[in-house]
Amino acid sequence: MEDLPSLKESFLRESSSVRALHDIQALRVKYLGKRGIVTEKLKALPTVDPAQRPAYGRAVNEIKQYIEAEIARIEAHLREEEYRKSLLSEALDVTLPGKYTPPGREHPIQHVLSEITDIFSSMGFEVGEGPEVELDYYNFEALNIPKNHPARDMQDTFYISDDVVLRTHTSPVQIRVMEMRPPPLKVIAPGKVYRCDADVSHTPMFHQVEGFMVDTDIAFSDLKGVLELFIHTMFSERTPVRFRPSFFPFTEPSAEVDIGCIFCSGNGCRVCKQSGWLEILGAGMIHPKVFEYVGYDPETFSGFAFGMGVERLTMLKYGIDDIRLFFENDLRFLRQF
Amino acid sequence: MRVPFTWLKEFVEIGVSPGEVADRLTMAGFEVEGVDSVEGEAIFDVSVTPNRPDCLSVLGIAREVAAITQMPLVVPPCRISGSLPDAGFSVDILDPDLCNRYAGRVISGVTVGTSPEWMKKRLEQCGIRSINNVVDVTNYVLLEMGHPLHAFDADRLAGKKVRVGTPATVRGRNEPIAVRTLDGVERSVPPDALLIWDAEKPIAVAGVMGGQESEVTSGTRTVFLESAYFESSSIRRTSRGLGLISESSYRFERGTDIEFLERALDRAAGLIAELAGGTVHDIVDAYPVRYVSHRVVVRPERLNRILGTDLSRDEMADILRRLQIPAEGDGDEIVVLPPPNRRDLKQMWDIAEEVARIYGYEKISTTIPRSPLSSGRSGKGARIIQQIRESLRRAGFSAAINYSFMNSTSLDALGIPPTDRRRRTIAISNPLSQDEGLLRTTVVPALIANLRLNLDRGMREVRLFEVARVFIDAGKTLPDEEWRLGGIWYKEKAPSLWREDAEGFYLVKGAIEMLFEELNVRGYDFRPCSETFLHAGRSADVVVSGSCVGYIGVLAPRVVAGLEIKKHRPEIVLFEIDLDRFLPAVPDSMRFSPLPKFPSVERDIAVIVDEQIPSSRIREIIASFPTHLIETVTLFDCFRGGSIPPGKKSLAFNIVYRSMERTLTEGEVEDLHERLVEHVLELTSGEIRR
Repeated sequence: MEDLPSLKESFLRESSSVRALHDIQALRVKYLGKRGIVTEKLKALPTVDPAQRPAYGRAVNEIKQYIEAEIARIEAHLREEEYRKSLLSEALDVTLPGKYTPPGREHPIQHVLSEITDIFSSMGFEVGEGPEVELDYYNFEALNIPKNHPARDMQDTFYISDDVVLRTHTSPVQIRVMEMRPPPLKVIAPGKVYRCDADVSHTPMFHQVEGFMVDTDIAFSDLKGVLELFIHTMFSERTPVRFRPSFFPFTEPSAEVDIGCIFCSGNGCRVCKQSGWLEILGAGMIHPKVFEYVGYDPETFSGFAFGMGVERLTMLKYGIDDIRLFFENDLRFLRQF
Repeated sequence: MRVPFTWLKEFVEIGVSPGEVADRLTMAGFEVEGVDSVEGEAIFDVSVTPNRPDCLSVLGIAREVAAITQMPLVVPPCRISGSLPDAGFSVDILDPDLCNRYAGRVISGVTVGTSPEWMKKRLEQCGIRSINNVVDVTNYVLLEMGHPLHAFDADRLAGKKVRVGTPATVRGRNEPIAVRTLDGVERSVPPDALLIWDAEKPIAVAGVMGGQESEVTSGTRTVFLESAYFESSSIRRTSRGLGLISESSYRFERGTDIEFLERALDRAAGLIAELAGGTVHDIVDAYPVRYVSHRVVVRPERLNRILGTDLSRDEMADILRRLQIPAEGDGDEIVVLPPPNRRDLKQMWDIAEEVARIYGYEKISTTIPRSPLSSGRSGKGARIIQQIRESLRRAGFSAAINYSFMNSTSLDALGIPPTDRRRRTIAISNPLSQDEGLLRTTVVPALIANLRLNLDRGMREVRLFEVARVFIDAGKTLPDEEWRLGGIWYKEKAPSLWREDAEGFYLVKGAIEMLFEELNVRGYDFRPCSETFLHAGRSADVVVSGSCVGYIGVLAPRVVAGLEIKKHRPEIVLFEIDLDRFLPAVPDSMRFSPLPKFPSVERDIAVIVDEQIPSSRIREIIASFPTHLIETVTLFDCFRGGSIPPGKKSLAFNIVYRSMERTLTEGEVEDLHERLVEHVLELTSGEIRR
């Protein structure tokens, strides 16, 4: 029995140097194989003194179980190690960039157009459309801007012929929609407009959103309410809004709408020309003359209309300082949005 | 308009700072765009809207300030009365509808010289150059009172006679007449333009500019001073026609005060006598068409409903009177008598604006309209276009926006034939430049220009799309406006981290196919196309539901050569879709198909066929095979070279067989597939690839 501790020691010594699965196999054969050391001990059991045999048998079996468990543990460990190694041999450089087509970007003007449209849609305004090449009648006459009227100076017009122009504003959509349908109406009309003017702050084509609402009891105070709600959604709840009297031939009373300068919080800066205010909208109550042109009774109906320049809003929103960037389509510009 | 603060204070007492006055004017509708300080004096730059010609003067602005600040307005009397020598001139208005009133005074024995410093300074502050004391007085009174005046050298007027009429009326001939104006330019004045004549000849273009011959010079001894009322649209027509805009025409075409003109005349005559000496003669005044005030009746209740205010009748009438607009309350109405300087006040709405702006827009409350519920959801077309934009962005294309202009040279560069629809262009009669003289009929030239710009700026990859209207002359008053989707693709052949070996054509085609798939558009087809500017062997018409909706293709090398792109054989792919034709093919709704209950069986077929046979032909052959057991056909390989003989290619398809009613047996599929392969080989003259 005195040889058993040394057997365990020798196993421990040998097993601690095992590094590979074939070593563990050899160890198993050496100790537990048909001619293994532990097997031989068990085979020799009958030769042991009967008085000591039970105790000796137990001791050998204990060692056998111990060695079996150890070998299984080491083998499992080695198999795990080997699996890991095989995975690592297939390792990728996970820091390499993935493969994808870089997504294209939306044009900033379109972003803002969509934003404006969404806000008014949520208030129940539907989207109306009209042609970009428009009759003088719709662009001017029916909007109370007769030929030889000084108000025509407010807009430099591209002419196709005496009676056909590139629309100078989206307001003709008002006339086209009102001619087709009776009130109540709640419509916005986004689109391209044209003026023959080109310099640092003007492009011959730009975008406007026209909006109007007509019903039996629409007041100037409603115009203020709707536009204030729009501005507070578009900018922020805290943006100051101011309505200033102005003149448009197709509205009366007319207003220009300013917001507190978003760059200097109204303290005065270069963008707001030290005034603290930025003009962003023209608006007013629809002129009774316009109602007469479309056959609405101005005694029964009233309504408001407004129009805004999308380029200006976009420039304010993103801090863009040159309007011409919008139409160059330089990808270094477009990719920023 | 420039308004010196000190001048303003001559007409109204002002107890607040210039900055405060500027703010209040702005909030009453006269935007002060800037306050200049010249030698310590504040000068306002006031923007006066076209409906308010009465405010194109210091006095006019003073009237507004008086109304806003509730201070009295002080207008100097400046009337000349008593017995004066006779003018010795007669005035004859031949076209009274174009000239409602013409008044004049003679000032004899004047000495023309320089103006005093105070007058020069004020003119200068308002941006007007000093000429001599007589002319300066007319300009001074124009700025002060807003009424344009003209001074003639009376000794140069033949027959002591002033006539007012058009060449057509005066000469009875419908021909233009030559007049040399003060600026030394000889102008051909149309027969319907109003002129001032002496007994023999035209001496001024009425309301626009005087004639050079009767100009006041240093030698002038007698002055004939004109103060008239000309009909506004006639002056505007003449001014535009001659391309001549003056301080006078600017005011006349907006409207002047037919009653007040007498006071301006007297003010100027008095000043001339004061500064240049001489004797003022009696007035000559022809006033054939009297001013009639058309009363406007306002119901305060209606006005309050339009504004959303709660003002009393008397509050409204008071505001109007502060603006010197006669208004009387009468029961539940207000009767307004617009004065001659306020011809813009025609109806209740005009009165509403006056009341609202002086009351203060900021005091009007904000309300939310009471109106029936309505849906703001956009229409089908707008929603699909939104989906198209999103799909193309996912495919890597960024959105471009180009001007709607083009020129015919860019159509020439594309080799668009003269009979092509895209040649039916609309021309702009006053384009900014000849390069932008036409409205575009295709978005391609602009996209090519965008590509060039981006290449010039060093981009190695360009993917752009645009959704815009194009304009086709259809022989009607207005052109056909059609929605187009266009795109351009370019990628430099350069080493890249991950291999991408598909041709650009297929990458762009893939983007289009993905778009169709996202929109559930089935039944589309790509067929050889004949666009002149595309590579004949690498372009296709896009056919949806049997009709051609556009094209996709590689830009033809000949066109590329003309673009002077500094790249070696660049591969540029273009596409353009006619959205008005395409959108109707997009289904509105989808139906569910039941999922199969029985297993499928897959088989492959690889055939070697002539290079000329398109893969779609083999698809068609398979589709035409008389069985309903084929579920899908997928092309998974297209191979050339190797063991494949030249001029041939190998195409391999995966075919999925399935029955909706039962499980197919191996033998059944084997037999079916064998017959299908034979069918394909027979119709393509191909052979099986082993």
